[in-house]
Amino acid sequence: MNESNAPATFQLPEQMSTVAADVDWLYYFIYWLSVVLFVAIVGAMIYWAIKYRERKGHKAEPTGHNMPLEIAWTVAPVFILVFLFHKGFHGYMDMAIAPANAIEVRVNAKQWAWEFIYPNGGSSAELHAPVGKPVKLIMGSGDVIHSFFAPALRVKRDVVPGMYSSLWFQGTHVGRDDIFCAEYCGGRSKGPNGDELSYEPSDDPRNPYPAGQATGHWAMHSMLYVETQDDYDKFIKSIGDKCEEYKSQGKVCPDSVAAEGGQKLAVSKGCMACHTTTGVRLIGPSWKELWGKPESTDKGQVKVDENYLRESILDPQAKVVTGFQPVMPTFRGQIADQEIDELIAYIKSLK
Amino acid sequence: MAAVDIPIAGGHADDAHGDPHANYLTAKRGIGSWLVTLDHKRIGLMYLAAVSIAFFAGGVFALLLRLELFSRGRTIVDAETYNRFFTLHGAIMVFLFIIPSIPAALGNFFLPIMIGAKDVAFPRLNLFSYYIYLAGATIALTSIVMGAVDTGWTFYTPYSVQTANSVISMTFGAFVLGFSSILTGLNFIVTVHTMRAPGITWGRMPLFVWGMYATALIQVLATPVLAITLLLLICERFFGIGFFDPKLGGDPVLFQHFFWFYSHPAVYIMIVPGMAINSELIATFSRRAIFGQFAIAMSSLGLAILGFLVWGHHLFVAGMSEFATMLFSALTFLVAIPSGVKVFNWTATIYKGSIVWASPMLYAMAFIFLFTIGGLTGLFLGTLSVDVHLTDTYFVVAHFHYVMMGGTVIAFLGGLLYWWPKMTGKMHDEFKAKIGFVFVFIGFNVTFMSQFIMGSRGMPRRYYDYLPQFEPFHKASTIGSWILAVGLFITAYTLLEALWKGRKAPRNPWGSAGYEWMTDTPPCLANFHETPILTRGPYDYHLATPEELATGWDEIEAEEKAAKTAEKKG
Repeated sequence: MNESNAPATFQLPEQMSTVAADVDWLYYFIYWLSVVLFVAIVGAMIYWAIKYRERKGHKAEPTGHNMPLEIAWTVAPVFILVFLFHKGFHGYMDMAIAPANAIEVRVNAKQWAWEFIYPNGGSSAELHAPVGKPVKLIMGSGDVIHSFFAPALRVKRDVVPGMYSSLWFQGTHVGRDDIFCAEYCGGRSKGPNGDELSYEPSDDPRNPYPAGQATGHWAMHSMLYVETQDDYDKFIKSIGDKCEEYKSQGKVCPDSVAAEGGQKLAVSKGCMACHTTTGVRLIGPSWKELWGKPESTDKGQVKVDENYLRESILDPQAKVVTGFQPVMPTFRGQIADQEIDELIAYIKSLK
Repeated sequence: MAAVDIPIAGGHADDAHGDPHANYLTAKRGIGSWLVTLDHKRIGLMYLAAVSIAFFAGGVFALLLRLELFSRGRTIVDAETYNRFFTLHGAIMVFLFIIPSIPAALGNFFLPIMIGAKDVAFPRLNLFSYYIYLAGATIALTSIVMGAVDTGWTFYTPYSVQTANSVISMTFGAFVLGFSSILTGLNFIVTVHTMRAPGITWGRMPLFVWGMYATALIQVLATPVLAITLLLLICERFFGIGFFDPKLGGDPVLFQHFFWFYSHPAVYIMIVPGMAINSELIATFSRRAIFGQFAIAMSSLGLAILGFLVWGHHLFVAGMSEFATMLFSALTFLVAIPSGVKVFNWTATIYKGSIVWASPMLYAMAFIFLFTIGGLTGLFLGTLSVDVHLTDTYFVVAHFHYVMMGGTVIAFLGGLLYWWPKMTGKMHDEFKAKIGFVFVFIGFNVTFMSQFIMGSRGMPRRYYDYLPQFEPFHKASTIGSWILAVGLFITAYTLLEALWKGRKAPRNPWGSAGYEWMTDTPPCLANFHETPILTRGPYDYHLATPEELATGWDEIEAEEKAAKTAEKKG
């Protein structure tokens, strides 16, 4: 375990994820390419500006044309740019597509804290992940835009209210990293009565911004712990199954437990009047094996995921599955965010 | 240059504004004559005064920000105040300073002169757009009095809808400022199309004018989008109509698309004028035509067009489809080509020139130095997988400061020193200008190079406080900001000192072949006594006559000597 969080190199932090090495290779490729180009351009400029300085008996030579040279320096960069684009896009796609067996952790971002909810319903303020296993974060925000950033993982993704965003990573070794919010989300330095809150950062790297003080975007800090499987299992056990407790606090349950709530909601909200869970087709598509399925709609092909289901509940006519009538009423204003999460969890459990 | 006696093209042909052959500064006197002037040169100077005040204000906020970040914990202000400071720094610098700086101040002054015209096409509209600027600036700045804005200059929703601060006056101010920008752009486009003097073909048009023309196109086409976006934002805040706030059924990412659809082209409204000045400086102080002049002109237009197609690169981690992300990355890389062409052409111009190491040329070479860094670091950010790590960190802050300040502001300072004698009739002290330059150059690099490193190490932007491992870089950056401030003060002092202590400037103090140096210093009210008829390009040193290239310093020295002897006798 690297206690000091020493950077891997002068410019980049420690590498803790499977994608980090590729990102860093590309970073240093561009870096050295830039150094060479910079030295060539600026070196030539300074050398010539001295060599051809104004003095007695020296006259500027009228500017001529050199078409081949001009075409060369217009076209040559294209090859480098295509290479960079290709490598960058390739790496980006690696980050975008999570392995199917990834552990799904729900992330709630709010001003100014992170909450991580694990498959068993337990939650914590820090993110724990087993080493060598892919972890997928499904992130939502209840207030403004935040952004999940873990430098040593080389991943970052905005957390936008009203939709889910996700990212995945796989820790390569045991260690810890900072989790930052990278999208500005405000701050507060005055108490409810307008009195100034105190502020003093701490030297504890795990808790640099103690609670009960002025807080804000910068203090939306958390820790990532990549642990051995044993430690991870111990951690999961220690947070326990707290779903009932969360529900009483109005918080979201993770999928396995939330699905039960979703099942009840599906009845109480009247979903079952038009949808079945058995594969039988009524007025709307059946939910059986719906999750993850490619569906053709009047707006083109979609993949059934969190965002599509959420949209279909709030704005049912946005993308209507081919072969069905656009008759579903909107549930906007009649269903809470947490209930949507539970319904999605239920539909997910029917796959 | 031949001259025939034909009326000077366009402008306010009536003599009510004074004798067209008189010095524009002294043709009329009194504050009133300035406030209602239709002379593009006076309007240019009034803009210069206004944007200089804005630059000073934005700079003070920058220094306060850096001072707060000098050490961990609270250094001078609390977090809420800090958030307002960086918002004001960004909003003032972008909307009140950089966007109008070169086009409205130097462009207004020199564009008509450099095409041999008497004024811009619509002088009254020109004055009107100045007052719109003042009105917009006033509205924006009232937000400071009303508690200030803490959203960042980008006003991202839904934070900007939910925060309790005076977002409306700031966005409405930016909305009004947009009209000033649109009208100036419109004026320039019509002027360039209809008022060029005989002989100034598109091919012979100075590169500064080409740059202004490309900028004007972006201003006219892109600014309305910002106006609409800000209007929607105001409607959402005021009437609760949901466009961007998910609580009202809106989409927060839509705001980002709208915002950057303007604000990315706006980046080119900021940098293309800087490049345009740089081309003038490199040509004059290398004593030869810009290499690949046509390519430089076309690359300005190329940037203007590409600038419209790359807004999505601000949203790589914001929640766009993978396909859109791929497309915007590919288009973003295309920007490197016209930018690279310009840098290569400038460098090639220096080759076999006759380089004068005057203060404006130092700024021109600094521009190449800094813009190359700014441009190359753009490659990191255009590369998708690397951008994921770097976006929203100080790396991005450093990158755009290298382009905006290392590019535009450096070119603006170079242009000011270059044209100061023409505008004011007074020559500044070159030694002091060079000392100022050294401080600016070193201070700038210390300030922002440290930001690259802390950014790539993972320091996010817009943070009031930071972890201990970032402290040395923040300290260096803050010290750099002090050096930079000293340099800017020396430069400002040098320019102002010239007004009361400077030597009288001759017609062509730098020995340039450019068109603007063919007329009096300072120019007469009608810019030229007769309409110039150009038989050569503005950089054709080998075709210019010795009279045209003569600096006129000999006459000034003779005059000074005569005055001295007269003084002794007297």
